[in-house]
Amino acid sequence: MENLIFEKKDLYNPIISTITNVEQLTDTEKRFEIALPENQILNHKPGQFVQVSIFGFGEAPISISSSPTKSPLFDLTVRNAGRLTDKMHRLTVGSQLGVRGPFGNGFEVNNFKGKDILFVCGGIGLAPTKSLIDYVLANRNDFGRVVILYGTKSPSEILFSDEIEKWKKDKSVELEISIDRPDENWKGKVGVITTLIPPLKLDVANTIATIVGPPVMYKFVLMALKGKRVPDENIYLSLERRMKCGVGKCGHCQINDTYVCQDGPVFHYPRVKELKEAV
Amino acid sequence: MSSTDVKSRLESFNCYYFDKDVTQKFISFLMKKGDVIAPHKTGELSYKYEIVSDATEVVLNYSRTILPLKKAFMPPRETLINFNIKNNQYTKPQISTEPKIFFGIHSYEMQSIKRLDYSFITGLPESNYLTRRENCKFIGVAYKPDEWHFAGSVGIDINETDGFCLYFYPAKNGYIVFEITDEGKNLLDEFGEGSEVTDEYLKLNEDKFQAKIKFHHNRIPEIFTHVYNSKVWEDVAQKCVGCGTCNLLCSTCYCYDVHDEIELDVENGQRDRFWDGCMLNKFAEVAGGENFRDNLGSRNRHRLYRKFKYITNQSDKLHCVGCGRCSRYCPANISLVEIVNDLIDDYTKQQQKEIL
Repeated sequence: MENLIFEKKDLYNPIISTITNVEQLTDTEKRFEIALPENQILNHKPGQFVQVSIFGFGEAPISISSSPTKSPLFDLTVRNAGRLTDKMHRLTVGSQLGVRGPFGNGFEVNNFKGKDILFVCGGIGLAPTKSLIDYVLANRNDFGRVVILYGTKSPSEILFSDEIEKWKKDKSVELEISIDRPDENWKGKVGVITTLIPPLKLDVANTIATIVGPPVMYKFVLMALKGKRVPDENIYLSLERRMKCGVGKCGHCQINDTYVCQDGPVFHYPRVKELKEAV
Repeated sequence: MSSTDVKSRLESFNCYYFDKDVTQKFISFLMKKGDVIAPHKTGELSYKYEIVSDATEVVLNYSRTILPLKKAFMPPRETLINFNIKNNQYTKPQISTEPKIFFGIHSYEMQSIKRLDYSFITGLPESNYLTRRENCKFIGVAYKPDEWHFAGSVGIDINETDGFCLYFYPAKNGYIVFEITDEGKNLLDEFGEGSEVTDEYLKLNEDKFQAKIKFHHNRIPEIFTHVYNSKVWEDVAQKCVGCGTCNLLCSTCYCYDVHDEIELDVENGQRDRFWDGCMLNKFAEVAGGENFRDNLGSRNRHRLYRKFKYITNQSDKLHCVGCGRCSRYCPANISLVEIVNDLIDDYTKQQQKEIL
């Protein structure tokens, strides 16, 4: 060990950051706008995540739901689903929390330039995807068609309704929403997200597809994209795993020889096909 | 393993003879230089690395300790930060860099530390582990393999001296002490005792391993490219109880979990990390309850692939060092050597089928 050159790093020290805005998106989801101290910039790529912690309540990976173009502020969209996220939901503007990161690889946006982008988002999967959607819309001329497919269980679970209204009005965005279990007021499409794919008219060779959603969704979306003959190498997906460290040590997020926190969470589909236990 | 291998390994080093008294005096001498950590007897057949307080309590002819040496560099429970909930401030605990001398270490154990070094340096080098690794000296001792040791099968000879500054080899009424590095030589020079080694004492014999993997260690990673779907994993799952003992006692396992603990004043607390294990049911569970390794077969497979394939692909070293702890202490009597040999049989059969 004596001969090796390396710089030791304190990997587990969070940066104490401040909540600058809180927005209730659904019954169970809130968007938190966060500022690092002294106007520091998080310097993230769309698709990356941070480890968020509240002292006494623990730490968890949460994807960044805003584009780097929003810097120095950034957004975290959080479902109230456990001890830490429940505590987070009780925080207000001015409250502090710990942030480590950004971690992971994110989407290689430069490879997407000039291409049509098909975003396939299931449920809370819209949150990480939104960092990329915002980025693409902020640099709209660099990209071709923007097609957003979004599926949720019920209308009450629809996230980012303000943005969705904007996307609906934006002539350069094609948005399709499907609801699995509609209520009597729902006038839109009904069915799981895969039902939105077959009717699409795509220039598949020139289309990049991103998939983010609950674990059960991936296989079916991949099958539907295959049905449209979207080439595997045009597909990217973001995988969710438990992570305790974010720095490739704790082992929890490991899929075969791959650490999702380091080599993911965004994966090129040809790579995922080589992995077992991935989707 | 022939005695010439032992000779070629050790004979190039300068050596001295220490009788038992001189050996104990040497331990006392080392104790003035820092904490000396050495094996102690804790039960009829159980041993433990402890800080030496009395040189006569050190045991050098031992099979293996129950807990591996990783505990010195990655404690079973370790505070990452101390925090205050009220003011949202925290401090990182100071990690001691006082000199430590590890005495009476077996070669497989030394190599396990080298494997852990790789894991903690690669990617982002972690300060907690690496700070503990500073100012450490290792003094090795030869061992007699029991039915569980299989280090030879993973390429680590009994008398592998890599990592040691001095190496103790049993001789009549004492030890032959080999100077492996300049650091070791300096220690012996300063100690100033020890006598010349005469032919009467210099009898080097390498003991043989009873437990053996059928293939040469260079071929083990190749096996693992072909046995992902082997039936062997189901067979292992039939016996395994998923207790995670093999993870905890493994000298190269380092996966962990992190928890916040709050003190009774409800104001202060700490973020602690604990040893965790991929054999435990919830290890690969994600939010929403999906578990990507929800059966014992896939968890056993993951554990072995981490030892023989996944990390090996990058480090070029097997990350099993053949200490035998996982098999010696498995409550279900599962033997890692048997699993690997079964996989080899399965692979060989596959190949024969392909030829036919």
